[in-house]
Amino acid sequence: MNSRRDFLKHVSAAALAAGVTPSLLTWALPQDQSVDFPGEDGMVLRSFRFVDLEAPVAYFNTWLTPIPHFFVRNHMFEPVQLDAQDWRLSLGGEVDKPLTLSLAELSKLEAHSVVNTLECAGNGRSLHRPQVPGIQWGKGAVSTARFSGPRLRDLLQRAGVKPTGKHVMFRGLDEVPGKVPPFIRSIPIEKALDADTLIATHMNGSPLTKHHGFPARALVPGWIGAASCKWLTEIKLLENEFAGNFMNPAYRFPNQPGKPGEAIKPEDTHPLTALSVKSVIAGPSDGSTVKAGKLSIHGAAWAGEADIAKVEISTDAGATWTPAKLGHDQAHYAWRLWTYEWKGAKSGDYSILSRATDTQGRTQPATPVWNPSGYLYNAIDEVKIHVA
Amino acid sequence: MSHRMDSPLAYPHTNCHPDRSIPFPKGMECGVEGPAVAANLSRSRRFFTPMNSLGTIFAAIALLALAFGSAQAQKPASASLTADLPAGPVQAKATTVCLECHEARIILQQRLSKAAWTKEVDKMTKWGALVDPADRDALIDYLSANFSPDKPPYDPQRTAGSGKSSK
Repeated sequence: MNSRRDFLKHVSAAALAAGVTPSLLTWALPQDQSVDFPGEDGMVLRSFRFVDLEAPVAYFNTWLTPIPHFFVRNHMFEPVQLDAQDWRLSLGGEVDKPLTLSLAELSKLEAHSVVNTLECAGNGRSLHRPQVPGIQWGKGAVSTARFSGPRLRDLLQRAGVKPTGKHVMFRGLDEVPGKVPPFIRSIPIEKALDADTLIATHMNGSPLTKHHGFPARALVPGWIGAASCKWLTEIKLLENEFAGNFMNPAYRFPNQPGKPGEAIKPEDTHPLTALSVKSVIAGPSDGSTVKAGKLSIHGAAWAGEADIAKVEISTDAGATWTPAKLGHDQAHYAWRLWTYEWKGAKSGDYSILSRATDTQGRTQPATPVWNPSGYLYNAIDEVKIHVA
Repeated sequence: MSHRMDSPLAYPHTNCHPDRSIPFPKGMECGVEGPAVAANLSRSRRFFTPMNSLGTIFAAIALLALAFGSAQAQKPASASLTADLPAGPVQAKATTVCLECHEARIILQQRLSKAAWTKEVDKMTKWGALVDPADRDALIDYLSANFSPDKPPYDPQRTAGSGKSSK
């Protein structure tokens, strides 16, 4: 059996034979240059082999995110072979009539659309102190799209959920490296039966791209991105929450905030579900120098299953707060863009803050709830600028 | 054995990825990763025998194809697709053990305490990383020394494109 190491040996030996130096093989070009990545425009490259791409916050200026600017989070390798003809979605477990659907059959079902802000649970992880392991997302593992496809509940009703079917498991076609546990998670039946929970086949009116789960993904609106399983191939009704790595210990949050850096017992945690209330300043950018006078401060705010009630801005490091103007585009699970016109900015250094409050009365805290995996960072956002 | 046939540089089976070849955008195949190749150069002398010369010839052709392809593409805006792990006593072993499944960037961006690195190494070993028990402590020391919380922040690359905001 051949192996990658054998192959590398061959390449290496060939390199020696051809008189090629290792420096050519390492393509030692400067690190600050960009990397070609078809279909992905100016994204922050967190990982290449497992595709993890972050949107620069400057992209948070359109209500719907163009697909080349939509963040990508993969835990493992994307499926190699995804033939729309051969793809099947099975629905089984605690149901009366198990189903298997082709993409053509799925496409015949009545489609619905939901504009949803999708955010990785680990968005902002790099900002936690002490630092925690994982993809070191800045603020941009969040984007918004119009997702379309049949309602999950229509499929569940067709299959007939037994009273014992309390949790709905999703399995994707992610390719597992080594002995890493497969990417399988579950959601409670109540959320699965919600009219806005979809089997999405389209994003912004186009078929899903491969990075976003072609040909179909779960869309669990308002919840952490990991709930919306990509490359969906199996749905299974379970009596209990799925028992596996990506339900426990991964994607859990402390029941009570602990001391930063302190270990948290597994029994003192619960699975992550809906997103927190959060706002991010898209511009001016952190560390920038701007002209004195009128300055437009803008960004986005979202709150998972709740709506944004207000976004407040402080230009004096939190001493006083003034409401921002919320953008007219809105949908229940989607972010609101906001703007604040700061008149009469005088020269000097400033800390600009944004703070969102939602319709459940939640407000962004000054400090986030630290947790060992760095989930749900949602502290008041800050950019430091110089007004010339 | 099966290779992808749509590319001159097929990605073979690995311990990490047993069933299928790895999906890389065209021209970015895993089998030509710089650091892994460099790290294996010293070993290659040992292993270069007539037994595997066919493979070597194949790889030489692939390599030349790559060199010509790169030269012809002439994309000065495109930087390296992979990054090296830093020099150190276990660089080569870390490259083999860790980069079998994921790239160096996953490591380069971390800033962790020794306790946290210990947990990571043990987790990855459980998940299939072939860490020789005799190398475990040295690997943890290497990662802790190079990627501790006091190091400067990681500066990630960007994908090519306008890099301009959506409007």
